[in-house]
Amino acid sequence: MTTLALYSNKGGVGKTAAAVNLSYLSARTGTKTLICDLDPQGSATYYFRVKPKLKSGPKGFARGAKGVYKSVKGTDFENLDILPADFSLRKLDVLYSKFGNSKVRLKKMLCPFASEYRLIILDCPVTIGILAENILNAADHTLVPMIPTTLSVRTYRQLLAFCKKKKYDATRIYPFFSMVDRHKKMHKELMLSVSKNFKGVLKSFVPYLAQVEKMGIYRAPVSVFAPRSMASKSYQNLWSKVQSHILNPQD
Amino acid sequence: MIRNQKFNVPDGYSEKQLFDQLAGQYAIKQAPRVAGKLTLYDTFDWRLFNKSLILYSSGNRLILRKLKKSDTLHNIEFSRMPVFYWDLADGDFKKRLAPIIKMRALLKLVEVQTRSKPYNILNPDEKTVARLLFEEIRPAQGRRKPVLARHLWLKPIRGYPKYERRLAKNLKEAGLKLGTEKEFFFNVLALADSKPESYSAKVNIQLDPSMRSDQATKLILRFLLKVMRKNEAVFEKDLDTEILHDFRVAIRRTRSALAQIKNVFPARTTDRFKKDFAYIGKRSNALRDLDVYLLNQESYKRRLPAVLRDDIDLLFAHLHQSRANAFQHVLRGLNSGKYKKIMKDWETFLNKPPPGSAAAANAELPIIELARQRISKRFRGIVKTGSKILANTEDELLHALRIECKKLRYLMEFFANLFPRKKINALIAQLKNLQDNLGDFNDLCVQQEYLLNIATELPGSQQQLKKTLVAIGSLVETLNREKQTVRDAFARTFTDFAAPANQELFKELFAAKTGN
Repeated sequence: MTTLALYSNKGGVGKTAAAVNLSYLSARTGTKTLICDLDPQGSATYYFRVKPKLKSGPKGFARGAKGVYKSVKGTDFENLDILPADFSLRKLDVLYSKFGNSKVRLKKMLCPFASEYRLIILDCPVTIGILAENILNAADHTLVPMIPTTLSVRTYRQLLAFCKKKKYDATRIYPFFSMVDRHKKMHKELMLSVSKNFKGVLKSFVPYLAQVEKMGIYRAPVSVFAPRSMASKSYQNLWSKVQSHILNPQD
Repeated sequence: MIRNQKFNVPDGYSEKQLFDQLAGQYAIKQAPRVAGKLTLYDTFDWRLFNKSLILYSSGNRLILRKLKKSDTLHNIEFSRMPVFYWDLADGDFKKRLAPIIKMRALLKLVEVQTRSKPYNILNPDEKTVARLLFEEIRPAQGRRKPVLARHLWLKPIRGYPKYERRLAKNLKEAGLKLGTEKEFFFNVLALADSKPESYSAKVNIQLDPSMRSDQATKLILRFLLKVMRKNEAVFEKDLDTEILHDFRVAIRRTRSALAQIKNVFPARTTDRFKKDFAYIGKRSNALRDLDVYLLNQESYKRRLPAVLRDDIDLLFAHLHQSRANAFQHVLRGLNSGKYKKIMKDWETFLNKPPPGSAAAANAELPIIELARQRISKRFRGIVKTGSKILANTEDELLHALRIECKKLRYLMEFFANLFPRKKINALIAQLKNLQDNLGDFNDLCVQQEYLLNIATELPGSQQQLKKTLVAIGSLVETLNREKQTVRDAFARTFTDFAAPANQELFKELFAAKTGN
C-alpha cells in the first residue's frame, strides 16, 4: 500500500480537484484505490455524491475505531472507494492532541486498509498543526499543488521550513503547478524559477480551466464527463508523472 | 467483501415486467446497451485452468477469477491484449500471473458474444447505489441466434447494503434463481476447439505392473509421440518458446526410453529410431539456445553494472536476428520429406500389435521388473559417479553425472504410476534438487562459452563493438562467480541425495522382488 497525500498549507489551490481526478485515474488502471476525505468541508465526498457522514464520529476517527472502516462507500467507479468526510472532522486537530501518540494516529488508523487497497489518496484540509504532522507521518509521498504566485511560493517555503524544524523528510514532498494561467507572463517566469530553485518539482501542471470547476455541476471526475478535454488530459499527464516519478520510479 | 450475485434468467422470462415492477420502488437509470465479446484465454498447456482460474476479457477489461468461486481476483483495463505476462503493466495482476504462466503465451480459447443492458439504481442524490445488469450470451453474433445463457447480475456497491438486500429479495420474489460461475464458464469452455487437460507435457502414463515390457514401452512412446504431434502442429505460429521446448523434451524422452528400456524391441528398430530422433532433435538445438538467451535478456542485463547495461543491446539484437533464421531452419525441417517419413514410420511401428514370439530378450518381461532393474542400476551409477566427484573436482564428471541424473529422472517419470505415489514423488523431488544444481552449473558453463564465441561474430561499428565486448566481458566474469557458488553447493546437494535414508527408500521401491 502506498499513501499519497494532496496537501497544502494554503487554501484554494486545487487539492481536492487533483485528489478526485488522480484517485479516479488510479482506479481506472485496476489499482484498488481509496480516497480519504479529511476535509470537514467534504468537497471530495460531494463530488462523488456520497453523504458526508462517518459512522465512527470524530472521536472514533481519531482513535481508529471500527466505525471508520464501516463508513467506506463505493463510488460510481470500479476499484474506487471513498472514506467520506464529516463536518465534525474540523475537531480533528484538537482530538489528536488529546490522545497519546498524537502525531501518528492517522497513520495507525489507515493500517487496516493496507490489505485491501494498493493506493490511498488523502485529500487534506488546510492545516499546519498536529493534523499536518499526522498527514506527513501517514503519507509515503506528499503532493503539493502550487499556484505560480509569489504568495504560494512563500507558503511553500514555510512548509519546507516547518519540515526542517520538525525533521520531516522534504525529499518526499513534490510540488506541482496548479491553476496555471499560461497567458500570464508572471506565471511562466515563476514556474521557471521554482523549477530551478526547488527540488522534486513535477514536470507537469494543471492549467486554470473552467472544466475543472464544472466538476461541481456534474459531480464526477473530469475524465468522466469530459474525457477529451484539456483538463482531463492534464490530470492524465499529472497521473503518469506521479506513476513514473513517485510510485514506480525506475532506478 | 462485495459479492456480485448472478441470477439465471429462464427462457421466456419477461425482463420488461420485472423492471416495471422494480421501477415502482427504485429510481432506475438505464445506461446504454453494450454489445461486447467475452473471450477466454489460457496457455497452450492450460496453466490457468489447472489452477482453477479463468482469464477472460470483456470490453476493455481483463478479468481473472476463480473458476469455482464468485469473486473476481483482478480486473484491469487494457488497450492491447497482452500475450505474455511481461506485456502487462506493473501491478498485482502481473505479479499473480507471472509465476503461473511464466514464459507461456496467452491464447484465445473461445469467444462468445454478449449483449448487456445495465441499470443503475440511484438514491435521491443520484448516486449509484447498486447495479443490475441484464446479460445475454450467444456463441455467435446476431439477435436471432440461439442464446447460450441469460443472466441478471446484481452488483452491489460498498456501503449500501440495504439496497443490496432489498434488491436480492425482489429478484428472488420475482422467481429468479442464483446461478454459479462454474456452470457458465464450463458451458463457454465446451464451445472451445480444444478441451481442458487435452494437453499436458507432463508424463502421466497408467501402466499395469504385469504388462509385457514391449507393450508398456509402446504406451510410453505413444504418449510422447502425441506431445510431439500437438506441438509440431502449432510450431509455425511461433506462439511461445515452450512449444519447441516441449517438442524437444518429448524427443529427448523418446531417445532416452529407446536407449534405457533395454532389449524390448529388435535391436535394428531401436538403433534406427535412436538415430532418427537424434537427427530431429539436433536440428533445433540452435533455436532453443537462442530462445533461452533471449528469454533471459532481462536477467543478463540485471547482472551487468548500470553503466554497461545498454551496451549489451547490440548482442541481443544480433541474437534476435539469428533466431529468425534458426526458426526458419527448424520449420523447413518439420516440413521436409525426411522428417515426415520418420514420424510416419514411427507411428506405424508404435501401432503395430506385438509379435507373437518375443523379438527381444526383455519383450515379455513384466514391466515392473524391468522398471526396477533399470532404475536401481541407474541410481547405483549416480551414487558411484557422485562420490568420485566429491573426492576430486573434475568438471567433466559433473557433466557426465548430469546426464546420468537426467536418464534416471526420465525412467522414474515413465514408471511413476507403478510405485507408491508419495514415496516416488519424494525421491523425484530429491533428484530434482541435485539436477537443479548440476543444471545450473552446466548452463553457466555453456553460457560462458557461448558468449565468448559469439563475441567474434558480432556485427557493428568499431566503437559500438568495443563497448559491447566490454559488457560481454563483464557478464562472463559474473557468470564465473556464479559458477563457483553453484560448484561449492554441489557437495551438500549430493550428500543429501546419497543420504542413507534416501538409499534405503530407493532400495525399498526398486530392489528386485522375488516371489511376487
